[in-house]
Amino acid sequence: MQLELQNIKKSYGEGGSRIEVLKDISLGIEKGEFVVLLGPSGSGKSTLLNIIGGIDTADSGKIIIREKSMADMDEKALTSYRREHLGYIFQMYNLIPNLTVRENIEVGAYLSKKPLDIDEIIEVLGLKEHQNKIPSQLSGGQQQRCSIGRAIVKNPDILLCDEPTGALDYNTSKEILALIERVNKEYGNTVIMVTHNDAIKNMADFVVKLRDGVIRKSYRNETKQTAEELDW
Amino acid sequence: MKRNKQRKNLTGKMKKPLNKRLIRELTGDIGKYIVIFILLVFSIGFVSGFLVAGESMIKAYNESFEKYNIEDGNFRTEEKITAAQKERIEKKGVSIFENFYIEKEFDNNTKLRIFANREQIDKVCVMEGRLPDDLYEIAIDRMYADNNGLSVGDKLVSGSESYEIVGLVALSDYSALFYSNNDMMFDASAFGVSVVSDKQFAEYDEAKLRYNYAWLYDDKPQTDEEEKKASDDLMDVLANIVSLENFVPGYLNQSITFTGEDIVGDKAMMEVLLYIIIIIVAFVFGVTINNTIHKEATVIGTLRASGYTINELIRHYMSMPLIVTVIAAIIGNILGYTCFKNVCVAMYYGSYSLPTYVTIWSAEAFWKTTAIPVVIMIFITYFVLRKKLSLSPLKLIKRDLSGKKPRAAIALNKKIRFFDRFRIRILIQNKSSYIILFMGLLFANLLLFFGMMLPPLLVHFQGIVTENMLAKHTYMLQIPAGAIDDEDELSAAFSYVFLLNKISTNNPTAEKFSAYGLKTTGEGGSRVEDVSLYGIKENSKYIHADFDDKTVLVSSAYADKYGLKEGDVITLKEPYEDKYYGFNVTGVYDYDGGIAVFMSKKHLNDIMGLSEDMFSGYFSDTEITDIEDKYIGTVVDEESLTRVSRQLMISMGNLMYMVDGFSVVMFIVLIYLLSKLIIERNVQSISMAKILGYTGKEVAALYIVPTALVVVASLLISYPILSYVMVGIFRVMLKQMMSGWMVIWLDPSVYVKMFLMGIITYAVVAVIEYRKIGKIPMSEALKNVE
Repeated sequence: MQLELQNIKKSYGEGGSRIEVLKDISLGIEKGEFVVLLGPSGSGKSTLLNIIGGIDTADSGKIIIREKSMADMDEKALTSYRREHLGYIFQMYNLIPNLTVRENIEVGAYLSKKPLDIDEIIEVLGLKEHQNKIPSQLSGGQQQRCSIGRAIVKNPDILLCDEPTGALDYNTSKEILALIERVNKEYGNTVIMVTHNDAIKNMADFVVKLRDGVIRKSYRNETKQTAEELDW
Repeated sequence: MKRNKQRKNLTGKMKKPLNKRLIRELTGDIGKYIVIFILLVFSIGFVSGFLVAGESMIKAYNESFEKYNIEDGNFRTEEKITAAQKERIEKKGVSIFENFYIEKEFDNNTKLRIFANREQIDKVCVMEGRLPDDLYEIAIDRMYADNNGLSVGDKLVSGSESYEIVGLVALSDYSALFYSNNDMMFDASAFGVSVVSDKQFAEYDEAKLRYNYAWLYDDKPQTDEEEKKASDDLMDVLANIVSLENFVPGYLNQSITFTGEDIVGDKAMMEVLLYIIIIIVAFVFGVTINNTIHKEATVIGTLRASGYTINELIRHYMSMPLIVTVIAAIIGNILGYTCFKNVCVAMYYGSYSLPTYVTIWSAEAFWKTTAIPVVIMIFITYFVLRKKLSLSPLKLIKRDLSGKKPRAAIALNKKIRFFDRFRIRILIQNKSSYIILFMGLLFANLLLFFGMMLPPLLVHFQGIVTENMLAKHTYMLQIPAGAIDDEDELSAAFSYVFLLNKISTNNPTAEKFSAYGLKTTGEGGSRVEDVSLYGIKENSKYIHADFDDKTVLVSSAYADKYGLKEGDVITLKEPYEDKYYGFNVTGVYDYDGGIAVFMSKKHLNDIMGLSEDMFSGYFSDTEITDIEDKYIGTVVDEESLTRVSRQLMISMGNLMYMVDGFSVVMFIVLIYLLSKLIIERNVQSISMAKILGYTGKEVAALYIVPTALVVVASLLISYPILSYVMVGIFRVMLKQMMSGWMVIWLDPSVYVKMFLMGIITYAVVAVIEYRKIGKIPMSEALKNVE
């Protein structure tokens, strides 16, 4: 098991306004799996992703990654964990506005001891002719490609995707999903994707449905659809 | 109508939520507002204090002419004027008043000019204690007392005489304590003025009395030209009636005019300083506003789309800078009228013997320190806001703030290290902040440089003038005007022969020279000043140069001040006549102690129509003791040459510390504000970098190093600019402010000190910024704001 969550609980606020966002979540993810965390707004899926990413902490429970408990990691170890093992893709891209496409990808490459070839990634992402542009010169889809490039260039073990198509139109969303699918297949990274788009569950190996902080259903797809085949 | 009213009410309510943001904006960014506020309060307060003090002082000074009946001029005669002579002179439209004095050396190595109390002219202002009315009582100049640690009740001893100080006074004709009107600068520590009772004055040896007379015109000339003409006419008349030793019309009397000119000059300088500071602060506000607009573009776009007008939003975003400026101006003015005024008054009292003053309400100071800063602030912030907020609501919502098509990124060579390229991008992104930082640091450094370079410059000047003195003692003999009256050569020659045995010395080191005083012509509006022409005997022990009949050497100080070189022609004129002399400069003589011209004695005497044997003084390495004091006009020695630098040190010392302190504060404020701004602008990116796994040190290396580089580069670039500007400012200032010249020398160690101060200041700010970067939460990047 590459990643194991045991009895994760998380709440915000105090007293009467206390909200339990995650209520006793447990699940295990295998290496190379494409996982979709599915749920409506407020279901706790993004919080769960942030806890896995080490940018938020659980109130209780255990996260074991590659047989190491995250609870034993201090700030330095957590930084090093994110640096060495994780890649992040956000809904709003979060590119550094004053760096070019290429330089934004280099931001990721710098963190890895063995980064993938930047030119190859730019080629794969279809960004070759845009590599010297800054984010504000790009469309949303191009920006998201760049953000994928930044995440995968360091060849992370786990790729965390928080609503990566949330701000994109139908066709661009499918392109981006196809790209993530390709990355998962070609580079063998584990992908954990948060989405509220029900159709996307069909391309996952493992689907976890959340509502009100509880796993309502989790299952492994016996047959998967390709991103190309998805429709919504 | 009713509907309009309702709409108005609704709009009124609509505005309130925006106004509520002001308090949150203030509390949310309290650090920024506090430092800007402090900078503004201190700048406005100090300038307001300076202007109020200046206005009050200049009023007291101007009123003193009437209040204390200040003379229109004075002259000194060899003998006491007879009643008949007085009558003849007064027929020329003036009233003459006796204002005799003696000069006495005291045991504290100072010299006092002692007058009998004046009841008609140049009246005395008692600052503390009372006027003397008995023997061995004295009232001394207040500033001389301050500089020598004397107060009422103390004793002043001169040989066997001991005087009790009964009062501290200001003599209305000595607001600046010039010993001689020809001096480059006054010296209020080694020289002072004082009054004693008539009874005491009558006790003094008549031989030591200086017959000084003050005059008042019956019809005061209205313009400078009229005054010059009246005084020239009077001098001609006097020269025919009495034997003149000295003649100083009021408008040329530095003891009277220097103070007024200096206060007016200071005021102008302070106002310019304030406006530069306000402009810098306004630009800092401009950059912060720009930053806020970037941050809030979508909100602004939405508000515009909902019906808020551009002006409503401009007013909203202008409010905080204006509120801060107005409150700072009010508090600054209150502090200006209370504590800063006292500091500035103390500065004036530290330099000048001014009479008592009354603080006056200065509308000018209020406008200049309140209205003008507010107008500058409105103008600059309005300009920035108007430019940004004029974009269409859609562009604002889309965060497309450039106003034109997004510009392509500047291509950077891929061979440059990634971190370095990253930093270059930050430099490019924040270029406007960095330009303001550079300008601000340049200005702060200019102030700091001014404060730090002056003391070593003065010390250096003291060193070189004492090192290359013409002789340890240069005595200028006091030769009665009749002796050199070129209209009556025969009588001049007789008087001269009569004098000769009185002005001869047996001192073996003494060497005769002839001298003649001329003035510069004041071409191009420069100050008219005295030039000493020295006629040097052959094979002089003191002036090491070969003189032939055509050699004319100008002193290095003269050459430096007026940019003279070999081959130039200098034109000089008789002080009080329309007679001009042209000299062809054949070289420069290394002498920094004064504006002087050297030629052979024969050459000078020929030109001036004096007999070959005639001489005017002695160079001597030992003191000459066998010539009576009354035949010695001035002595140029170490003490007199270093008078300028010593007085400047005293009168500018406090100001220098204040300037230093202020510039350091400004330095810190600017670096703090602008580096804070750069971090704030990149909060999202910093947060994202942390999520990606960048360590705090790496993030700091990316975001702090560019500012550090800009600070270091700004400091290094600023030094040659500062040196150039400072030398320029100093040259202009010295040329306008004083006769004579001071070699401008910039101490290299000042640059090192300034650089270290700059770097240490930045290091402190960098630590604060490092902590701030550490505190930026990763959740910042998770907010759905790009």
